[in-house]
Amino acid sequence: MNFKRAIYTISALALLFGLWGVFVRLTTGHREAAYGSYVVWGLWVAMYLFFAGTAAGAFMISTLDLLFHIKIFKGTGRTALWVGLVSLAAALLSIWLDLGHMERIWKVYLQGDLGSVMAQMVWGYTLFGLLMLASLYLSIRNPQSSLLRTLMIVGLPLSLFVSGAVGALLGVEASRLFWHVGLLPVQFPVFSLASGAAAMLVVIGLFGQKESPNRSEQLWVLSVLTVALAVVKLYFLWADFSQSMYGNVPQNVEAVRAVLYGPYWWAFWILQILIGTLVPIFVLVQPKLARHNGWAGWMGVLVLFGFAVARANIVFPALTVPEIQALTTAFSGPHLTFDYFPSLMEWAVTLGIVGMAVLAFLIGEDRLPLSSKEA
Amino acid sequence: MAKQQPQNSDQIAERPTVSRRDFIRLSAVTGGALALLGNIPQARQAIQKVMAAGEGGFFESKPENQIYTVCLQCNTGCAIKVKLLDGLAAKIDGNPYSPWTLWPHPAYDTPVKDMATMEGGICPKGQAGLQSAYDPYRITSVLKRKPGTKRGEGQWVSIPFDQAIDEIVNGGDLFGEGPVEGLKSIRALTDTEVAAEMAAEIKAIWDENDADKKKALVEEFKAKHADHLEALIDPEHPDLGPKNNQLMFVWGRMKGGREDVVHRFFQEAYGTVNMNGHTTVCQGSLYFTGKAMSAKWNAAKSSWDSGDKFYWQGDTGNSEFVIYVGANLFEANYGPPQRTPKATEGLINGKKFAVIDPRLSKVAAKAWKWVPIKPGTDAAFALGMIRWMLENERYNAAYLAIANQAAATAAGEPNYTNAAWLVKIKDGQPGKHLRASELGLLTPQTVQKDGKDVTVYVDAAGVQYPGDTPVALVGGAPTPIDVLDPEAAPVVGDLLVNQTVGEFEVKSGLQILLESAQQHTIAEWAEIAGVKERDILELAAEFTSHGRKAVADIHRGPSQHTNGFYNNNAWYVVNLLIGNFDYAGGTIKASTYDRKGSKKGQPFPVTTMFGEHHFTSFGVDMLRTRVAYEKSTLFDGTYPTRRPWFPIATDVYQEDIPSIGDAYPYPIKVLMTYMNGSVYSLPAGHTAIEILADTKKVPLHIASDILVGETSSYADYIFPDLSFLERWEFHGSHPSVPWKVENVRQPAISLPGWPTVKVYGEEIPMSFEALLMAIAEKLELPGFGPNGFGEGIPFTRPEHFYLKQVADIAFGDKEDGSDNVPEADDEEMRIFLEARRHLPKSVFDAEVWKAAVGGDESLWRKTVFVLNRGGRYQDFAKGYKGDLVANKYGRLINLYQEKTYTSINTMTGKPFTGYTTYVPAGLSSTGEEIEDEGYEFNLITFKMITMTKARTVTNYWLMAVQPEGYVMLNRADAERLGIQHGDRVRLSSASNPDGVWDVKGGRKVPMIGKAHIVEGLRPGVVAFPLGYGHWASGSHDITIDGMVVKGDPRRAAPLHGNAAMRVDPHLGNVTLSDLAGGSAVFYDSKVKVEKV
Amino acid sequence: MLGVLEQQDVLVRMHAELQRALKKKPEERRWVMVIDLRKCVGCHACTIACVAENKLPPGVVYRPVLDEEFGSYPNVTRRFIPRPCMQCDEPPCVPVCPVNATYKNNEGVTVVDYDQCIGCRYCVTACPYGARTFDFGLTYTDNTPDNFPFLFGQANADDYERHANYEYGENRQREGEKSPIGNVRKCHFCLHRLAEGMLPACTTTCIGRATLFGDANDPDSLVAEMIASPNVMRLKEELGTEPRVYYLV
Ligand SMILES: Nc1nc2c(c(=O)[nH]1)N[C@H]1C(S)=C(S)[C@@H](COP(=O)(O)OP(=O)(O)OC[C@H]3O[C@@H](n4cnc5c(=O)[nH]c(N)nc54)[C@H](O)[C@@H]3O)O[C@H]1N2
Ligand SMILES: Nc1nc2c(c(=O)[nH]1)N[C@H]1C(S)=C(S)[C@@H](COP(=O)(O)OP(=O)(O)OC[C@H]3O[C@@H](n4cnc5c(=O)[nH]c(N)nc54)[C@H](O)[C@@H]3O)O[C@H]1N2
Ligand code: SF4
Ligand code: SF4
Ligand code: SF4
Ligand code: SF4
Ligand code: SF4
Ligand SMILES: [Mo]
Repeated sequence: MNFKRAIYTISALALLFGLWGVFVRLTTGHREAAYGSYVVWGLWVAMYLFFAGTAAGAFMISTLDLLFHIKIFKGTGRTALWVGLVSLAAALLSIWLDLGHMERIWKVYLQGDLGSVMAQMVWGYTLFGLLMLASLYLSIRNPQSSLLRTLMIVGLPLSLFVSGAVGALLGVEASRLFWHVGLLPVQFPVFSLASGAAAMLVVIGLFGQKESPNRSEQLWVLSVLTVALAVVKLYFLWADFSQSMYGNVPQNVEAVRAVLYGPYWWAFWILQILIGTLVPIFVLVQPKLARHNGWAGWMGVLVLFGFAVARANIVFPALTVPEIQALTTAFSGPHLTFDYFPSLMEWAVTLGIVGMAVLAFLIGEDRLPLSSKEA
Repeated sequence: MAKQQPQNSDQIAERPTVSRRDFIRLSAVTGGALALLGNIPQARQAIQKVMAAGEGGFFESKPENQIYTVCLQCNTGCAIKVKLLDGLAAKIDGNPYSPWTLWPHPAYDTPVKDMATMEGGICPKGQAGLQSAYDPYRITSVLKRKPGTKRGEGQWVSIPFDQAIDEIVNGGDLFGEGPVEGLKSIRALTDTEVAAEMAAEIKAIWDENDADKKKALVEEFKAKHADHLEALIDPEHPDLGPKNNQLMFVWGRMKGGREDVVHRFFQEAYGTVNMNGHTTVCQGSLYFTGKAMSAKWNAAKSSWDSGDKFYWQGDTGNSEFVIYVGANLFEANYGPPQRTPKATEGLINGKKFAVIDPRLSKVAAKAWKWVPIKPGTDAAFALGMIRWMLENERYNAAYLAIANQAAATAAGEPNYTNAAWLVKIKDGQPGKHLRASELGLLTPQTVQKDGKDVTVYVDAAGVQYPGDTPVALVGGAPTPIDVLDPEAAPVVGDLLVNQTVGEFEVKSGLQILLESAQQHTIAEWAEIAGVKERDILELAAEFTSHGRKAVADIHRGPSQHTNGFYNNNAWYVVNLLIGNFDYAGGTIKASTYDRKGSKKGQPFPVTTMFGEHHFTSFGVDMLRTRVAYEKSTLFDGTYPTRRPWFPIATDVYQEDIPSIGDAYPYPIKVLMTYMNGSVYSLPAGHTAIEILADTKKVPLHIASDILVGETSSYADYIFPDLSFLERWEFHGSHPSVPWKVENVRQPAISLPGWPTVKVYGEEIPMSFEALLMAIAEKLELPGFGPNGFGEGIPFTRPEHFYLKQVADIAFGDKEDGSDNVPEADDEEMRIFLEARRHLPKSVFDAEVWKAAVGGDESLWRKTVFVLNRGGRYQDFAKGYKGDLVANKYGRLINLYQEKTYTSINTMTGKPFTGYTTYVPAGLSSTGEEIEDEGYEFNLITFKMITMTKARTVTNYWLMAVQPEGYVMLNRADAERLGIQHGDRVRLSSASNPDGVWDVKGGRKVPMIGKAHIVEGLRPGVVAFPLGYGHWASGSHDITIDGMVVKGDPRRAAPLHGNAAMRVDPHLGNVTLSDLAGGSAVFYDSKVKVEKV
Repeated sequence: MLGVLEQQDVLVRMHAELQRALKKKPEERRWVMVIDLRKCVGCHACTIACVAENKLPPGVVYRPVLDEEFGSYPNVTRRFIPRPCMQCDEPPCVPVCPVNATYKNNEGVTVVDYDQCIGCRYCVTACPYGARTFDFGLTYTDNTPDNFPFLFGQANADDYERHANYEYGENRQREGEKSPIGNVRKCHFCLHRLAEGMLPACTTTCIGRATLFGDANDPDSLVAEMIASPNVMRLKEELGTEPRVYYLV
C-alpha cells in the first residue's frame, strides 16, 4: 500500500531527524534549547500535554468498545488502546527529555512527594500506562475476561483523573492567572476525549480496514463527537478569554493578548482556529465528507494538529508574561527571554517523537492482532 | 530520602573538611617547571597542586585566603580583599578597614583575623574584577606588528621579550618599510652634567623678557654647547630641548608607584620631557580650576606661583544640603561605594539634596529636586544663585572679608580668600591686583639678611613686608596685605569696593563678582540655563539655610565643556560665598600619606635616591604646557599659534596625538603608550586613529597593554602587562574623602603560567616594569640597576621601589616616628606569609621583600602591617577637628585670579578672564560659535555603574546587566521623529556626517544602536552610556602567528558615540577643548539621530 | 558635633547581630531581609555580588534589580527594586516539587537540594516572583579563544567559574552535566556564608545600605526594628505567600 509506505518513510525520516535532536540533547544538555528560565516549559511540555491527553482520550474511546460494547465501535477498542499506549509513550518520552536530570526520574517513584500534582501525574500516568498495557493484553488474549472489564472500569476514572491532573498541573498555580482558571482541570478531560476521538478519526479514516462494515458509521459518530467537543472547546476558549479580558487583570490580559495578537498570532488564528478547528468543523458537519475515509482521516489530523497548537497556546503565553514587568530588562543572558520559539533541536526531537509514534502505531497495526481478528 | 547536601547554616558550619578540587589530584604528575614553558593549562595545574595542601572549609572566611589590595575597575580605587581558593582569585569584597567601603570605618589596628568575615561594600564592577584579570584575551607574549602589514590591520607575530627589547632599542628595518630609529639613537644627549647645565640655561632664556637679550642668550648657548648641538632637536630653538624629547610617553590610567617609576625612567633616566597623563579627558578643568584658584602668592616676588593640580569635592556625609552638579554619584564619580551611603543615609533622615543634570541620573531620581539644565550653562545657573546670594546678603561676609593668613588665624578660620583685595580696572576690565607700592604705601628698601642684600618693602611706620603686597580697603583706608605671615597684621577688608584709589580705578574681588553676576537678571540667567527662575531661587534659599553645612559638589558635567573652567569656577565660588571650605559638611580636599619619602624622617626618599647623577630633562614639551608661548623662542608675536599652548593646564590628553600629527612643536620619533584607550575614550578620538596609523607621523609606537586594546591595536609592539590584581600601585585618595589615607595595590594573584623575564640577572614577571627596566638595562640608564638607589642599593626588581614606598607610608609623616604604624605581630606575620603561599618566587619572596626595606625587622613588620590591610587609613575620628576637617587645604583661595588673567590664550592672543563669568559653551578653539545646521540635538554622555571606559567590556558578568549601549532620547523628541523604543538609530554630526568610525584595516564601525526612550532626559538632548561599540579588546578577529583569534560578538555590542563629537573646525584633527582648563569636550556637540 | 561619630555602619552592626543569632538553634532564628527602597540606588552591586559569590552561570540570576521610570518630563523619577527570593513562609514553589528537592529548611530558608532535583522546572512556573532560574550548563567564557601560546585562553580563564561554587557549603565542580547544571537555582540567603558568620553577599556589598539582613526573632536586631515600621510592605502580598523579604517604601 503506497500511502502507508509513504507514511512509513516519512516517519522514519522524522525519527532520524529526531535521533539527531536527541543526540544533541544528550551531548549538550539543554544548552541548545530555546526555552529558558522565564518560558521554562516549551514545545516538549506542550507535546507532553498533547500526547498525554490523546492517550487518555484514546482510552476513553476504547471503552466504547471494550466496556460499553457499543456496536458500531466493535473492533476499535484494541486499536484505540494501542493508540493510547503509543501516545503515552510519546508523552513520557517528551517530558523525560525535558528533565534537567533524566537519570533521576526514579526519584519520583521512590522519593516522590505525592502532594505534588506532578508526582501524582507521573504516578497516575504510570499506572494508567500499565493499565492500558494490561487491558490491551487481555483484550487480545481474553476479551471476555472480567478482569478486563474491571480494568476498564478502573481505567475510566483514572483516565479522567490523569487528564484532569494535567490541567491541575497548570491550574493549581495561583500566580499564573492564565492557567489558574477554575475549570482548567475539567476542561482537560474534555480536550482529551476530543483528541482521542480525533486520533480515532485518523486511525480509522486513514488506516482503517477497507472491509470493515462499520467504518463509515464509526467515522460519522466520531466526527459528530469531534465537532461537538470542538465546539465545546471553542466555548471554553471564548469563556476563558472573555473572562480574562473583562476581568482586566493585567497579567492575564497580557497573556490573552499575546495569544491573540502576539508575535505568534498566526499560530492561534490560522493554525489553531482556522486549520485546527473551523476547517474540520466545516468539513465534518457535512455527513458525506464526514463519512469519507480520506476526508475524515485528514480532518482528524488537522484537529490533532490544532490541539497540539492549542496546548502550546496554553503553556507558553502564561510564561511569556513576566511575573514582574521590569524583570524583562533587569538582567540578560541566554535563556532569559520572555519570547519563545522552539529551537531546531526541540523541533527535531518533537518530530522524531511524532515519527516514532506513528511508526510504532503502524507497526502495531501491522503486527499486533488489533482489529482484524474479531471483526 | 537521600539528602546529600547540607541544608542549613549549622550543618554547613559543622561540615568536615571539603575535599580538594578533583582535577588537582589528577595532575599530580605535572611539574612546576612547566610554568616556565608557557604551557598554561598544565602549568596552572602545577601551581594549583602546590597550593592545594591543607585547603578546606569555606575558603572565603579564612584570613590566610585573603589578600587586601585595591580595585582598579574604575579610578575610585576602592580597597578590596581578594579571596583565594587554591591560588585562584575566587571572590572579591570590600576591605573593611577602608573608608571607601564602610562608613564609619573601623579601627585601623583591628587584628586582621578579626576582620576575616567582615567586609565592606563595593560596586558591581569591583565584584567583577576577576574577569579583568582572568580574561581569555589577555596577551601573554610580546606582539609585533607583522612586517608587511599596516597598523590597524590586526596582523601580529609573537616574539620573545628580549628580541623585542633589542629591536625597539636598536631600531633597524623592523617592518620591511625602511629603517626605524630606536630608543638608543634618539637618546642623543647622554651626558647628565651637560643636560643639567643646558636646562639651567634654557630656563634663563625663558625668563628673559627682552627679545634681543633672549636672542643673545640663545647665541651664547649655541656657542657654549657647540659640541652638543647635534643632540638638540633644533639648535636654532635650543629650548625645544634634546632629541631625547622625541620619545613621548602617554598614559591613560596610571597611579602612584608606577607613576614614580615612570617619572624616574622618562625624565630622570632617559631624559625626555614628554610624559603625559590623561587628566583632561577625565575631569581636567576641575583640576585646573583648582590649580588656578589655589595659585600661590609669592610674597618675595610679589607675584604668583602655580597652584596645585587638584580639586575639591564635598564632605557630603556631614552636609545638611547638597547640590550635585553634573556629578553622577550613584553610577560613577569617586565613587559609588564610598559616596552613596552618605547620600542615602541622609535620605531617610530628612536631609535633602538637589541634582543639576540634563539627565535623570540615578542620583537625580532620589533628589528632592532635579534640575534638567541645558548642557553647558552651569555657570549661568551658578551666577543666578550668586547674584541672589550677594544681593540678599546671604553670604558669609565675615569670612570673605578676611584678607590674609593672620586674620584667618585670628578668626579661627582655616583659610581665606582674596575677595577684599583690590583689582585695577582698565577700560572697564579687571586686570591685576593693585600693589601697595603703586599707592606709595610701601617702598622698597635693601636690607642685610644673613649677610646678603635683600629687598624688603617698608610702610610709613617702618613695618617691613617681605615684598610688595596687594591692598585692601579697611574701613575705606588702603592697607597693605602681608598675605602669608600668620604673625603679621591681620587684614579684614571692605568687601564691596568700587572707587578710585589714588590714580587707580579699583574694585574688590567680590565687587567684580557681583557685577559679573549682575550682567543678567536672575530670570535671564534662568532663561540661559533653560530652567525656571524658581529653580535658582529655591536652590539658593536652601543652600544658604544651613550655615556652612551645605555644599555644591561638581564633577564632569559642568567641567567637560569648552567653558568648563568657568563653570567649575562659578560653582566653587558659590561654595566660597558661604565659606564652607575645610568645614565638615563643606568643600574639602584629599590627603594622603607621603609615598615618596619626602617628609623628614621617612626611611626612603625614593624620588631623590639615585646612584649616579640623574638626567635633567628640559625643553618645550609636546603639549606646550611647561612654558608660556611668549617666553619660548618660538614666540614671534603672532597669534593664533599653530596649535594652542596651555599656560594653565597640563596632561592635555586630546593634544598628544594631534600634536604628533602636526609635528608641532616638533616631530616625535617614538610614541610609547600605557594603559591608554585614547582613540576610544577621547571625544572625536577617531581623528587620532588617522595619525596613529601613519608610520611617517609616528615612526614607532610601543604599547603596554593587557590585551590588544583600542589604542594598542595601532602599535608596532605590544608588551603584556600585569592586571591590577597582579601588580603594585598606590591609588591615593579622592577629594571627597576627609581622612588621610593611602591605598596600596599589591600582587594578590599571579596568573598560572605567566611569563617571566630576566633583567639585571633577576627573574621578574613580564610587566610594564619589566619593559622599562629592560630598556634601562640595555641603555645603561642612571637610576636603575644594582646601584639604582645609590651605592649598593639595587633597583633590579619592581618591589625594590614599591616596598620602600610602603615602608614610607608605614612610617608616616612625623619625623619622630610617632606616626608609625604598629609592627605586625607573629600571628599577622604568619597570616601574611600564608596568604601569599600561592605566589611564585618571581613575585613574592619574603627575604627579597624584607631586604627591599633595608632588612630591618621592625620596619619590615610595620610594612607588613600596612600590606596586611591593603593600605593605611587615618582613624575615623581623627578626620575631623570640631567643625573642621583635620586635613585642611588651609590657605589662600583665589576668588579673583590674577595669574589666570596674566596668561594668554594663544589662539586669540587675549588674556584669559580672571573672574567668575559666563562664557557660552561649544566655541571653537579660536573662540567662534559653531553653526551645525541640521544637527538638532545636543549630545551628552554618561557612565553607567556597570561600565568603565574601554575596559569592562571584558567583564561578562557586567555585560549581563546591560549588554549593549544605546541612544537615549526624550519621549517627546522620539515621537516627533517617529522613533520607537528599540528602533535602530544612527548618530552623526557635522564633522562625521556618515556616523562611522573608520578604524582602518578596511573596517568601518557605524554609530548605530538602539533607541532608548525615556521621560528623564531634557528634550533636545540625546545621551549615550560609555563602554560599548568596541573594535578591538577581543571584539573582532585578529591574526597572530597566522592563527585567527576569533572575536567575541558580545564585546562588539553597539555603540560608542565619541566619534560623533565635534572636531574643532580650526584645528581639524582634535576635539573641541577648554583652552583654560584643558578639558576635552564631551557635551557640546550637535548631532543628528536618524532611524535606520 | 558629628553625630556620625557615635554611629556604626549598619554592616558592622548586622555583622555583630549575626554572630549573636548563630548562637541560637536554627529553628529559633528567623532570617529576614529588609530592602529599603528609599535607599536603593539601583547599582546592581548586589546582583553581581550574588553572581560572583555563587558563581552563577549565564542565564542564572538570583537577585536582579528592576529599574522603572515613572511620570513624565519634567516630573519624573525612577524606582529600583531588588528581587531576591522572598523565602516565602507559604512558598508556592515547594508543594509542587515532585521529589521534595525544594523545601523550607529549619531556618525558614527555601532551599534546593541539587542532588535531589530532577530539573522539571515546575517550581519555576509556580514562583510568583520569577525568583528561580534553570542552570543550562553554560559558562561566561564559552566560545572564547583557547590553546594559543600567546593568549591566556579560555581553559585558564574559566577556573573561577568552574571551581569556586560553595553554595550550601559544598564545593561543587562545574563540569559535564553535574549538578547544579540541569537544576533549578535560586537565592538561599547565602546559607554557606551565614554558617561562617558572614552576611549574605548582596547585603555586605550594598552600597546604598538598602539591604538589611538578620534575625527578626532578635528584638534588638536592626531588621526587627525595621519590619515594625509603618512604611513596610511585601511584594504581591495578596497571594498569601508570606514573604520573608520586606520592603521599606
Ligand atoms: N561606573 C563608572 N564609574 C566611574 C568611572 C567609570 O568609568 N565607570 N570612571 C571614574 C572616573 S575616571 C571619573 S572621571 C568619574 C566621573 O564621575 P562623574 O563626573 O560623576 O560621572 P559622569 O557620568 O562622567 O558624569 C557626567 C554627568 O554629567 C551629566 N552632564 C552632562 N552634561 C552636563 C552639563 O552640561 N551640566 C551638568 N550639570 N551635567 C551634565 C551627565 O548626564 C552625567 O550624569 O567617575 C569615576 N567612576
Ligand atoms: N563617551 C564617553 N567617553 C569617555 C567618558 C565618558 O563619560 N563618556 N569618560 C572619560 C573619562 S572620565 C576618562 S578617565 C577616560 C579614560 O580614558 P583612558 O585613560 O584612555 O582609559 P581607558 O579607556 O580606561 O583605557 C585603558 C586601556 O588600557 C588598557 N589596559 C587595561 N588594563 C590595563 C592594565 O592593567 N595595564 C595596561 N598596561 N593596560 C591596560 C586597555 O587597552 C584599555 O582599553 O575616558 C573618557 N571617555
Ligand atoms: S567604584 Fe567599583 S569599580 Fe570603582 S574602584 Fe570601587 S569597587 Fe572598583
Ligand atoms: S519567592 Fe518564589 S522561589 Fe522563593 S520561596 Fe517564594 S515561591 Fe519559592
Ligand atoms: S526543578 Fe527541581 S526543585 Fe524544582 S520542582 Fe522540579 S525537582 Fe523540584
Ligand atoms: S542572599 Fe545570597 S543568594 Fe540570596 S540574593 Fe543575596 S547574595 Fe544572592
Ligand atoms: S546593592 Fe543595594 S543599593 Fe545597589 S541595587 Fe542592590 S539593594 Fe540597591
Ligand atoms: Mo575620568
